[in-house]
Amino acid sequence: MLQCIFLISDSGEVMLEKQLTGHRVDRSICAWFWEHALSQGDSSKGITFLACSQVEMPPLMAIEFLCRVADVLSDYLGGLNEDLIKDNFIIVYEVFEPTLVLVITNQFLVNVEHDFLFERATASCVPWRTTDTKYANNEVYVDLVEEMDAIINRDGVLVKCEIYGEVQVNSHLSGLPDLTLSFANPSVLDDVRFHPCVRFRPWESDQILSFVPPDGQFKLMSYRVRKLKSTPIYVKPQLTSDAGACRISLLVGIRNDPGKIIDSITVEFQLPPCVLSAELSSNHGTVNILSSKKCSWSIGRIPKDKTPSMSGTLVLETGLERLHVFPTFVVGFRIMGIALSGVKIDKLDIKNLPNKPYKGFRALTHAGEFEVRS
Amino acid sequence: MVGGRRWVVAGEEKREKGEERGEERGEEREKRWSPAASRPELGPEVGRRHRGAPDIDSPSELSAGEDVPAIRRDGGDSEQGLHNGVPDRHRRPPLRRPRRCQHRPPPRQQVRLREVRSSQAPARSHRPGLRRLQFLPSGHHFALDLFCLVDRKRKSRKKSRKNERTFLAETQATGRIEVVKNVASQSLEVKKLAYLYLLHYAEKRPNEALLSINCFQKDLGDPNPLVRAWALRTMAGIRLHVIAPIVLVAVGKCARDPSVYVRKCAANALPKLHDLRLEENATAIEEVVGMLLKDHSPSVVGAAAAAFASVCPNNLPLVGRNFRRLCEILPDVEEWGQIILIGILLRYVVARHGLVRESVMFSLHHTESNKSEKGSSESETKFTLEEGNGDMGWNYESELAKMVSQCYIEGPDAYLSRSSFLDKGSSEFKGECFTSSRSNEDVKILLQCTSPLLWSNNSAVLLAAAGVHWIMAPREDVKRIVKPLLFVLRSSNASKYVVLCNIQVFAKAMPYLFSPYFEDFFICSSDSYPIKALKLDILASIATDSSISSILKEFQDYIRDPDRRFAADTIAAIGICMQRLPKMANTCLEGLLALTKQEFYTSDIGSMEGEAGVLVQAILSIKSIIRQDPLSHEKVIIQLVRSLDSIKVPAARAMIIWMVGEYNSLGELIPRMLTTVLKYLARCFTSEALETKLQILNTAVKVLLCAKGEDMLTFERILSYLLELAKCDLNYDIRDRACFLKKLLSSYLDSRGAEAETDCPPENKELSRVLAKSILGGQTKSLIPESNNHRIYLPGSLSQIVLHAAPGYEPLPKPCSLKGDDLDINATGDQATSDPSISDDVDSVTGSLDEETASQYSSQHSSTGSGGSYGSDETGLEREDDDNTNPLIQLSDPGNTCRVQNHASETGSADFGELMSKSALDSWLDDQPGFSNVNSSEPSPINRSSARISIGNIKEKIKRKSYVLLDPVNGNGLKVDYCFSSEISSISSLLVCVEASFKNCSTDPMSSITLVDEESNKVLDNADQSSTLTESSVTSQDDVPTLVSKDEITSLEPDQTTTRILQVRFHHHLLPLKLALYCNGKRHPVRLWPDIGFFIKAVPLELDAFISDESHLKGMFECTRSCIFSDHIGDSNKDKDEGSLVTTDKFLEICRSLALKMLSNANLFLVSVDMPIASNLDDASGLCLRFSGEILSSSKLCLITITVKGKCWEPLNISVKVNCEETVFGLNLLNRVVNFLVEPSS
Repeated sequence: MLQCIFLISDSGEVMLEKQLTGHRVDRSICAWFWEHALSQGDSSKGITFLACSQVEMPPLMAIEFLCRVADVLSDYLGGLNEDLIKDNFIIVYEVFEPTLVLVITNQFLVNVEHDFLFERATASCVPWRTTDTKYANNEVYVDLVEEMDAIINRDGVLVKCEIYGEVQVNSHLSGLPDLTLSFANPSVLDDVRFHPCVRFRPWESDQILSFVPPDGQFKLMSYRVRKLKSTPIYVKPQLTSDAGACRISLLVGIRNDPGKIIDSITVEFQLPPCVLSAELSSNHGTVNILSSKKCSWSIGRIPKDKTPSMSGTLVLETGLERLHVFPTFVVGFRIMGIALSGVKIDKLDIKNLPNKPYKGFRALTHAGEFEVRS
Repeated sequence: MVGGRRWVVAGEEKREKGEERGEERGEEREKRWSPAASRPELGPEVGRRHRGAPDIDSPSELSAGEDVPAIRRDGGDSEQGLHNGVPDRHRRPPLRRPRRCQHRPPPRQQVRLREVRSSQAPARSHRPGLRRLQFLPSGHHFALDLFCLVDRKRKSRKKSRKNERTFLAETQATGRIEVVKNVASQSLEVKKLAYLYLLHYAEKRPNEALLSINCFQKDLGDPNPLVRAWALRTMAGIRLHVIAPIVLVAVGKCARDPSVYVRKCAANALPKLHDLRLEENATAIEEVVGMLLKDHSPSVVGAAAAAFASVCPNNLPLVGRNFRRLCEILPDVEEWGQIILIGILLRYVVARHGLVRESVMFSLHHTESNKSEKGSSESETKFTLEEGNGDMGWNYESELAKMVSQCYIEGPDAYLSRSSFLDKGSSEFKGECFTSSRSNEDVKILLQCTSPLLWSNNSAVLLAAAGVHWIMAPREDVKRIVKPLLFVLRSSNASKYVVLCNIQVFAKAMPYLFSPYFEDFFICSSDSYPIKALKLDILASIATDSSISSILKEFQDYIRDPDRRFAADTIAAIGICMQRLPKMANTCLEGLLALTKQEFYTSDIGSMEGEAGVLVQAILSIKSIIRQDPLSHEKVIIQLVRSLDSIKVPAARAMIIWMVGEYNSLGELIPRMLTTVLKYLARCFTSEALETKLQILNTAVKVLLCAKGEDMLTFERILSYLLELAKCDLNYDIRDRACFLKKLLSSYLDSRGAEAETDCPPENKELSRVLAKSILGGQTKSLIPESNNHRIYLPGSLSQIVLHAAPGYEPLPKPCSLKGDDLDINATGDQATSDPSISDDVDSVTGSLDEETASQYSSQHSSTGSGGSYGSDETGLEREDDDNTNPLIQLSDPGNTCRVQNHASETGSADFGELMSKSALDSWLDDQPGFSNVNSSEPSPINRSSARISIGNIKEKIKRKSYVLLDPVNGNGLKVDYCFSSEISSISSLLVCVEASFKNCSTDPMSSITLVDEESNKVLDNADQSSTLTESSVTSQDDVPTLVSKDEITSLEPDQTTTRILQVRFHHHLLPLKLALYCNGKRHPVRLWPDIGFFIKAVPLELDAFISDESHLKGMFECTRSCIFSDHIGDSNKDKDEGSLVTTDKFLEICRSLALKMLSNANLFLVSVDMPIASNLDDASGLCLRFSGEILSSSKLCLITITVKGKCWEPLNISVKVNCEETVFGLNLLNRVVNFLVEPSS
């Protein structure tokens, strides 16, 4: 059972304290936690949610709970940072409490007394939906949002490449509609996770998603497609060091044209601590070097006439002849209108609805943990 | 719609990432908080559900109540939500809904937030809510909740607004008690506010809370389920012991409510009740849990599972009855309930059926423990070969995996402590503890129902389901858990860490499960350090011959990572890999050597602390690889030694020097270079660091011990030189070491130099030589990886993450500890007690038992009623006893009906004769149902019959305990003891009689001894606040003197003893009375401690009267506690020595000692003794004693029932129940009774 929840700002200051049981947890635990987190080298950005428990409980349960609280908060505030929370402190506090109720019921809330302000009083046949939802225009949108994770090792070999995808549904449908979503090629999906509204049986037998959707936006399903063979773009770093300096050059280009425009291409990397200073320039896009020795090169879209390249010199620490540790380049991109995994939605059937709803489909791929080692 | 159209062509759109995200968020947020989404559909249902009850609440009012979540967020929008919820169409149709904000410009969000604020701010300024904010002292959020309610109302009805105003006005004007009155308000809103208020302040102001109890009880009967639920929840939230019985009854009632929501609230209330630690009601609470577990609604079951886990996690029979249904309902339970329910079901299956023969748990310690079963072990090894690419390391891993299964069941602490002195292989699980997943339906269904949960979106559910499969699934099915577990690695860092911790254990025990998925453990730069370390460890343990090359390549990348700590860990992982898979060792060693060469260039630079770590780790890894096969890696050692000059890190140098010493006689090359190396070391000894110096000394000695021929002399010289240097070292450690070595090696060192002195006997020399060799010469054994350091807890538990048992952690129950018969008996028993409406049908339901009951009935009837030969023999025997021994037992009035509702005592008739012959009983009396389980508030049929006896002559044995009033040391030789007498004061009912005995222990006579109450005029000190109410009736008669003492004792000769009866009025039954004792004109302050046991007087009561009185004193007048009683053990042992006849019956012994104890310590009347006719003679369960008394001051009845549980020869588990109208008195009396029962008799 969770005893207490703290919200800690990125400077380690306790912004909010919510005791859930009679046994109060002292605030000093936050200081301890913060020290520990720092010593672990967690340079945590943003808000830290800290939950305390002294007794045995599934830790993932608490983590999952905090994640949902964070989701709700950031949904509601349109982001999650110290200023937003401080500006809207009362609202956060308020949201915090009913959130507990909306998201989590019995286990945690045995001790939260005024949850009954916000309860879902009686269960309809589908607890996540009320029966009397009404819309003048019925519409449902299905989004395939994919993230590509890839690791390219120092030899330039693609070690790992996989897609993590989500099927996001935004439904505005009246009554209790029954939806069936089928994929053209369900066999490419390596593993899946479902929203609680998805019925297991049809998936087990026919690989069909059958569900009564909650109202509004939700994540219907997430999936994984492993062992992909190629990436849409390539990033080729080259580092040669000699006599206390290191020459760096970076080439970015399209490897397999996905047929859609690749945009928002960025390359970020952290210079090793032994680098004293760096001078970088590019023939396309802008290069920034932050004080934390973090460099970012935002390319945007790849021009037709040239291959974007960045080059520069790194000055090493005195006494260091050559670089022996190398940065990892984290690549970002976005491709609208395509799911790189090749997953295709076949059709979406809607039953139990008087008039024909509007259906919209969209796909999007962006880079997840896409990194190139040098 | 605009949004729609744009969506379709979205492929061509070029939108800023941030913009889009913002829009989507706005959209989502709105949906989430829109009242329609979160509003429960209660309104229509209420009316329908309630047996056509008239529509009590106007629908609008209702919806206002439920819509609360929307209020503050949606400021302006809330109205719309309201209309959405209300099924009337007169409202403005939702024309312009902000829902399609899909493509609204992003600033929209801020606008909305501002809207919220601005809509609230003016509202506050002119509304009464603001004032309330000031008056509510704690937590502005609470005030705000209220405020929001009010805010909400502003929009709706004027009438209830008026209600609210009254509420507010009242609270403000008249103080808080008035608030409570509002619970009775007709308005739902106001009622809710009042409930909130109560919950918040109940603990601080219990009296106010108590005022509203009646209203709650009324509300519990309300036709509106919401009101019932609120009432129940508030009642449970008021954590006061006094009302616990009422709440319990209410929960029991609500658990049968037609509304799902109310039942769910009942389930949620149970842990709160349990928190109050009501031992006496534990069974009743458990019954309700059992009932709720049977519920057909998934949401109730989820809540009930949570209640089960916190109330009675070990009452597994409760689960057993519903096991199938619980499994089937599992996928529909809401996710948080699923997590708990999965754990409960797993525990049940393990306890009921044991582990699964085909599972990972079984195979692992089976291969080792049951070598005899050739067939199975053969197939297993075959299986291993097929599944795990390569069987190597299997032995070591099976050792670990065996530990895993043992740890799950015993808990690692128990396991580790046991294994430290016992053979680890001692498998205590015999074949019967195992079941087969193929044949066992329960196991099958559990696995079947948990496997779709592996697709759950909630990682906690997923991990719980994976845990079940890991423990219970057949080996070939376990791999089902792998992909889902790996999927979690895509979520937040924290959950990633937790899942990796669990995978680490799985992967170590079953490497082949994860070995095909090694790529998933490749490390990203965004991983935090703990995650990196875990991944490395997992990679090292799942590497196989086929994957090792890819993994090593990956490792090479890691070594060049800027995070040097991580690089060092990688090198350590390489070392571990190579120990498991020595085939690649040579290539690895080369790489590592290159690393050491490379690093020493950089190690000169002072700032490179990390590099030193990398270097040390590299040498450590090299060392561990060499250790496996030193001979073939001779050249590596030489290379390392060559690089000694350039390696500057002391720890690394020390390790290389250690290797020189360790492998000094190895191969051909090393011995040849020893002289040079030692000379080099001796030269640089003074400039070395501490650890290196120590290692140099050791190495020099080791080399000397192994040396032969002419080298010996050189080595001796070098060593002497080193020792001389070390003797003058600044560090005492080194000086000590030098001294020690010198003494130890005196034989060597002196052997040449002082050959002439042969003082030392040669054997002595030999001895020290052997000693030196065995200390320093022996090669270190190659260590198998120490698996004992692992602490393994159940998958998914907090303990597994923190690696120690968190409070509340429980390992799996012992396999097969729950027997099937147990379950059935308990099942029927519990069923019968839990639901009185069913209890009548029990016999008819269990049809087969019916006949037995009937036959038993007739036989008993004949033996008692018609006085068959069997019965008359017994009576004869008994008469003899009667004459001879003047027994304690006398028969009470014989009855001749025997309604034995016993369906579990097939053996009962067989034991009849035995029991009769032993116990001096005249006849069996009416069976009185309901005493095997006094804890339940309802009379229940029992599965044991009992007979009633009475115990005579017990009065003579009663010894009142005497207390010291005045010690002779303090009282100048006057010793005053007192004990409470059973006499009743003739003056006033408020007086208690105390018998005081005065004894002169001195040598001088004493005179004029008086006992005076000096404080009678002082104001009474009512220290105990809680009892002020109940005390008021006592204190009302103030004219009664505190102490009525008889005449003073004029003189007391030495050694003379006089007794006096004092009549004392205690103001409080817990606090002592301060008196003054005058003796020889000297004042001694004394304290007279009350004994609540004598604040009552014995009231003779017939059994029927007792039972009917008892039935009037249920609920809050009843309190129960349990304790352990062990007096009878001493008694019976003592009596056994005397060999008396009567004492052979243990039951009578127990009865007698119990009754004696009770009557000696309290002024009670023994109403009846019910004896069990148990199938088992040793089992005293069901023995029941009843006592009656009357409170002296108020003449209120006080009934005590004692029920015994347990074996005759062991300490008994006793539950004491007190029924008394004065609850506080009753409670205190109960505590007193328990206290004296527990304390051993003198």
